[in-house]
Amino acid sequence: MISRSVEAQEQEMLSAVALNAMIPLANERTLQAVYYILRGRKASQTLQDVHLYSLYPYYRMFPRFSKENWDKIVSNLVQRGCIHIRTDAGMNGKSTFMVTTEGVRYAAELSNHYQLARWLTPFSASLLTFNLDTFWKRLHLLVQTVSQIAAARMDFIPVVTDRRIQSWIKSQLRSGEERERWQVHLGDELYKLWSPHPMQVQQILVGQLTGAGHTGRTSGQLAAEMDLAPLQFQLMFRYGLASSVERLQQEREAFSLLKALLDADHEERGDVRLSESAAKTYALIQRGIPKADVARIRRIKESTVEDHLVEMALRCPEWDASEYLSPELADAIVRTSEELGTGRLRLIKDHLGDEVSYLHIRLALARYRGEATS
Amino acid sequence: MSTSLQTHLQRHFGYEAFRPGQEDIIRGVLAGENVLGVLATGGGKSVTYQLPALMLPGITVVVSPLISLMMDQVQQMRAQRRIAATYLNSLLEPADMRAVMREIESGMYKLVYISPEKLQQSHVQTLLRKVGVSLIAIDEAHCISQWGHDFRTDYLRLPEVVQALGNPPVLAVTATATTAVREEICDLLKIKPEHVVLQSLNRKNIAIDVIPVMEESERRAQVLHQMDEWKGQGIVYCTTRQAVEVLVATYQLEGKRKVHAYHGGMNNMERMLIQQQFLSGELDMIVATNAFGMGIDKPDIRFVIHYQLPASMEAYVQEIGRVGRDGEAGYAALYYAWEDVQIHQYMIEREYPTRRQIDQLAELLRQQQSLTTEALTSIELTQEMADLLVFYAQRVSAPYRDEVDPGTELRDHADRVYAELERRKLLKQRKLAEMIRFAEERENCLRKGINGYFGETGHDYTLQCCSVCGLERSLYKDSRQSMNTGRKETSWDLRQALSVLLPK
Repeated sequence: MISRSVEAQEQEMLSAVALNAMIPLANERTLQAVYYILRGRKASQTLQDVHLYSLYPYYRMFPRFSKENWDKIVSNLVQRGCIHIRTDAGMNGKSTFMVTTEGVRYAAELSNHYQLARWLTPFSASLLTFNLDTFWKRLHLLVQTVSQIAAARMDFIPVVTDRRIQSWIKSQLRSGEERERWQVHLGDELYKLWSPHPMQVQQILVGQLTGAGHTGRTSGQLAAEMDLAPLQFQLMFRYGLASSVERLQQEREAFSLLKALLDADHEERGDVRLSESAAKTYALIQRGIPKADVARIRRIKESTVEDHLVEMALRCPEWDASEYLSPELADAIVRTSEELGTGRLRLIKDHLGDEVSYLHIRLALARYRGEATS
Repeated sequence: MSTSLQTHLQRHFGYEAFRPGQEDIIRGVLAGENVLGVLATGGGKSVTYQLPALMLPGITVVVSPLISLMMDQVQQMRAQRRIAATYLNSLLEPADMRAVMREIESGMYKLVYISPEKLQQSHVQTLLRKVGVSLIAIDEAHCISQWGHDFRTDYLRLPEVVQALGNPPVLAVTATATTAVREEICDLLKIKPEHVVLQSLNRKNIAIDVIPVMEESERRAQVLHQMDEWKGQGIVYCTTRQAVEVLVATYQLEGKRKVHAYHGGMNNMERMLIQQQFLSGELDMIVATNAFGMGIDKPDIRFVIHYQLPASMEAYVQEIGRVGRDGEAGYAALYYAWEDVQIHQYMIEREYPTRRQIDQLAELLRQQQSLTTEALTSIELTQEMADLLVFYAQRVSAPYRDEVDPGTELRDHADRVYAELERRKLLKQRKLAEMIRFAEERENCLRKGINGYFGETGHDYTLQCCSVCGLERSLYKDSRQSMNTGRKETSWDLRQALSVLLPK
């Protein structure tokens, strides 16, 4: 367990992170939306928010964030005068919030103190659908397996129990030739990948790995050894993973072995850019099936199919959305959004009138923002 | 026969000889009999079904209630390439589940571990019937008994499953079974008295220490002291996760040795790493809830300390049974304060639903086909508890009518279902009372007490007996000075750190 001062520090860092994520969403979304982003909810609306407001680093930052803890953070920020909950019925009766000048100042001060900007940089749109957890598990089990091969001891218990990860490792190490290649070059490629990192990040990554005759430390053990608050550790660990992935994506040629870690988990599901359900919808839409029929075939609500269309507009640039949204209308919506300086659907719709549907607006914003950021 | 059995044992498991009881059990099974084997923890239960699995034509199904345990065992067998084994349980993703089932159908496996609830599913039964089951082994067989400390409803349906699979021979194994529990197992699984193989549960090399304390601070000071001083690696059991966390945090402030917590609230990989660190000796001690230890096969654990009173004698014996499987001297301490009883009583109360919750569940069931987690949360019931209630309702109403929806059944029989729960509660209270009686024993030998509880008379010991008979605790202390070497401040070198894992 952690001492009181560490715990206070944890709460302060959490507040800083939460506040930073709140600032772009102020007056536009509910506080709940911020919570969903930090927890990494897979719903279309949450993914769209992340995209619209470029909140990539925050998505799935705390997958196990409890509602109680979140409420504590919120009431803390309210007490400090950093945020105000607005009770006017702006968002279909749901309350939005605003961030005060003090809130903005406090966010800046804490971000500076905890170097948040530094640890949050490597996150871009391309990482949104990339599963860092799978990446890390693959890497961890790969190192363990190759280490055991090198020690000629194959009677080991894998640290990763996930079957899919295990079968992926097997597929990488099928032939003697492949095993030989990994054994000779894995250490070098990891060195090349991680040597530019700050020392502490290197220690966090390597310290958790397991090999023959050497068991990795848990994040808690390592954080204690390094005198880091758990949250600080978590931030630096995520930084290490994200920047590794980014570098591998940019310099595929330089990492002939490790680049395999980027491969989509095909067994996992269809199109990895989309949520699982949206991927199924996309497969049907691509076959020219209208959305009402997709809903019928898949036995889901038509509004859910519409959510999926928005997700597709966001992530699949090759999808031709013109059946659902003419280029002219898209243009008008985007212009209105810019003029009004808002992403709030209701305001845009009020401005444009009845012939424009919410689906039109959501598709247009998703498309426009998608193109602008990628 | 005996020589060929030994050859198999040697070839596949690397052991020279059977441990007591193993051979009798295996012979019975191979002769097509239903057998009950009661072997002490660490007595080699798994060999009794793994070896027949290799020799019998079809597949051997092992029913196990502990998902982590079955995964560990399969993992170990895969690592050692001993038997082609796999598992089916609710943690498998649907796609994996289908893949494993296809592999089973193609005859890839000799041994299939399965959770009792998976085994109830008709498509699983169809598959197993098709492939042909030569033996059904029921691990932790005491779970079938309503008089056991660990009764599980999904075990009660096992006799029907055995029938559905074409009545192959059944092997029930357990490490903890009182006379009443043994009788119930035999009755339910049709095991003849002559096919019960009973091994002494007395662990001669473990000294039994019971230490009554007046208050928390006294207990904590003594346990922290033992954690520093006691020889070898050990486990400290606490009743709650919170107690685990507090003890670890306190120890880490002053303690000299490497300790880590282990409980169900930690994620998979963490638990895996901690377990592995303990097995390889990188950790000196684990402070854990009862989530730790099942399926851990570490021969040289030297001590187990119960920080608080366990819930039953069965749980206690199972946990101290992890000490000294190598036969060397070991030590088990049980700390006991009156307040421990209150914690257990509170847990027993909370474990079972109230009369009102039964009505609420019946109402929910009548409104909707399947229950969502949210719906259950709204009446503060767990899925397990809901299943248990439905099961009881079906059991009490089954003789009278058929094909009634569970909601109606539960509504109509709520009183009888509640009475059933009251009986379960009472049973747990009785188990707790037995445990208290043991902890408060000041006159009679504790070893005799344990063995007597399980209907045995043996009470031999190798080094020391128990705290009532007189115990010299210093024999279990480490004579060497503290092994705390302080933190090594070596300079960091990435290349060097990687080469430890991936040598050139």
